[in-house]
Amino acid sequence: MSGVTRRFNGLTAVNDVSLQVERGTILGLIGPSGSGKTTVIRMLTGTLEPSEGELRVAGQVPRRFSRSTRERIAYMPQLFSLYPDLTAEENVGFVAALYGFSWFGRTERIRRALETVDLWDARRRRAGELSGGMQRRLELACALVHEPQILFIDEPTAGIDPMLRQAIWSELRRMRDEGRTLLVTTQYVGEAEYCDRVALLDEGHLVANDTAEAMRQMVFGGEVLDLEAESDVRPEILTDLREVQGVRSMGRGRMRITVADAGSAAPILLEAFQSAGVRVISLDEYQPGFDEVFAELVRRRRAERDGAEADQHRAA
Amino acid sequence: MLHDAWRSLVRTTSFMGKELREVWRRPGVLASMVLGPFLIMLLFGLGYTGARAAFRTAVVLPADTTLPQDADFYEGLAPGRIDVVNVTQDESAAERDLRAQRVDLMVVVPQDAVNELRNGKQTEFLVAWNEVDPVNDGLAHLAVSSMTAEINAAIIRSAAAEGIDIAEGQLGPRVTNISPDVIAKPTQAVTQNVSQTEPSYVNFFGPAVLALVLQHLAVTLTALSMVRERLSGQIDLFRVAPVNSMEVLVGKYLAYALLSLLIAGVVGALMIFGLGVPVLGGYAASLGLVLLLAFASLGVGLLISLVADSERQAVQLSMLVLLASVFFSGFVLPVEDFIGPVQYISYALPVTHGIATLQETMLRGTVSSWPMLVALAGIGLALFAISLVRLRLILRGAR
Repeated sequence: MSGVTRRFNGLTAVNDVSLQVERGTILGLIGPSGSGKTTVIRMLTGTLEPSEGELRVAGQVPRRFSRSTRERIAYMPQLFSLYPDLTAEENVGFVAALYGFSWFGRTERIRRALETVDLWDARRRRAGELSGGMQRRLELACALVHEPQILFIDEPTAGIDPMLRQAIWSELRRMRDEGRTLLVTTQYVGEAEYCDRVALLDEGHLVANDTAEAMRQMVFGGEVLDLEAESDVRPEILTDLREVQGVRSMGRGRMRITVADAGSAAPILLEAFQSAGVRVISLDEYQPGFDEVFAELVRRRRAERDGAEADQHRAA
Repeated sequence: MLHDAWRSLVRTTSFMGKELREVWRRPGVLASMVLGPFLIMLLFGLGYTGARAAFRTAVVLPADTTLPQDADFYEGLAPGRIDVVNVTQDESAAERDLRAQRVDLMVVVPQDAVNELRNGKQTEFLVAWNEVDPVNDGLAHLAVSSMTAEINAAIIRSAAAEGIDIAEGQLGPRVTNISPDVIAKPTQAVTQNVSQTEPSYVNFFGPAVLALVLQHLAVTLTALSMVRERLSGQIDLFRVAPVNSMEVLVGKYLAYALLSLLIAGVVGALMIFGLGVPVLGGYAASLGLVLLLAFASLGVGLLISLVADSERQAVQLSMLVLLASVFFSGFVLPVEDFIGPVQYISYALPVTHGIATLQETMLRGTVSSWPMLVALAGIGLALFAISLVRLRLILRGAR
């Protein structure tokens, strides 16, 4: 998608977003609630037209998908959208039939899809009687039954316990390993680690689009080491070291040091502290959580936006 | 090509199967849909006599009259229409009874009516009633008209007898002896109903109830089916899947047509074999009409489901269609009794054509209302086309 914008009654839900998803990868669309993730997915599946910009999925404009392209695509909506009075098996069977699989051709597919999401034993239970997690898995089975090449999955883990979330992600990664392309939205930023690439959305803007690790580097400017010493440490000790890219005091005897490569920088830093007479208690690599990374990225974008708005006001 | 056609058939029948399963999973709804209408019809057939109670009547006689005081005498003036509960000379008391609705009619016999008549003057007598029901108002007019005719005939009969006596006294046996009864009522109608079906409320309303029930069920079932899918997000699955509006629509039509036929079959069988409603036109013709009516009614329901914003609105619109059908379809009041513009509403309802043609087919054994059949098919086709266009727009998604 290139320069895609979508407005609803004057309100911009998605603003000038450009993205590219490689075949056989998982792109995670991550962002807080209302950031425009579902709107992006709906435009990519052809259920919503962009106000501006260009979209292509498998080389086709989504609003004009051919039947054969539709047969290669699956969409799992955010809300439970199956039939509560039908059994799990009947729901999957209905979706298989929508993709043209006759009764004879779909029996084995239904079994495979239900087994994949561990619902085969619950196949005769009505969808309305399943737990929330089982319903999400049932929807995933429906999305998988026709063995699509491209999957658009909207919030597959919303409201699901951590164990099941992991199971769903391992299933999504297995599909990726089979060569399928997945675009998955989630508001759990920690799930970024399961994705090959992450697109971070905030208020309809694309804040970042990279691997999760690269984003971490982007935020902290490199790798991070946390120092704990017996006494206060003067930052000037590290000023002349070219390995050090940044230093931040974290309180008495504590310091956060940004370096290009933690492995090679650690012995050099220890030597410098020893020379300066500082007794080091610990020097460990700090792995900032994705929550922290994304919060920082969002904070920076909003600060930029506020700055731009202030400039505009001044100019006016 | 053949492969595509086969897949399209699979998709279409998938909707049919899904809809039927969903209905089947609610056996209570299904039972009430089948048994409910039949029980209502049974109660109506057994409980409604069609006979109106005679008007409770007070007869006010003048003071010192020689007229009979016997209530039976006055009841004989309008047999079956009046029930004389009071013969009195107190007009004020009778009027109080009328205003208090203790009596329905008050007949005031004038003073000296015989002498006025002998002097060549027309005699007037007051008949008063206290009625707000237009049907009873009309029946009161009819009772008075019948009573007046009977009184006039009695006077003519009496005068004729008197005249014949005088003539015989003056002219002897040369006078032609014509009975005063013949002079009073020179003609009498001999009636005959040539219809093959004995008029009865069950027979007459049976096909009408069948048509109304069929339309109502078809409209209600389909009205809810699509609106639920639109609002709960299932429509998004159809938008992404390789399914088109024709497949969705035909699948739903087939499901609900089958269900409507099943219900019509059960209700019809109970009606025919349980209540003895005749099928003079044959089962095939009746089935054809039921199919045509179901087709048109499903169109109404689907259109509602495609325009309604919520399930509540869909139910409300279905009830409005039912209400309009009860009033304007000819079920209770003849369509011809309405003014021209209102008749357009009547003829826009599938059930209007359904009632007329089913009654003709089942009770008369013929269908002479071909324009109604054409109209029914036209309504069905037009609604199908409109629903198809609307569904196509919905499946295309938001712009």
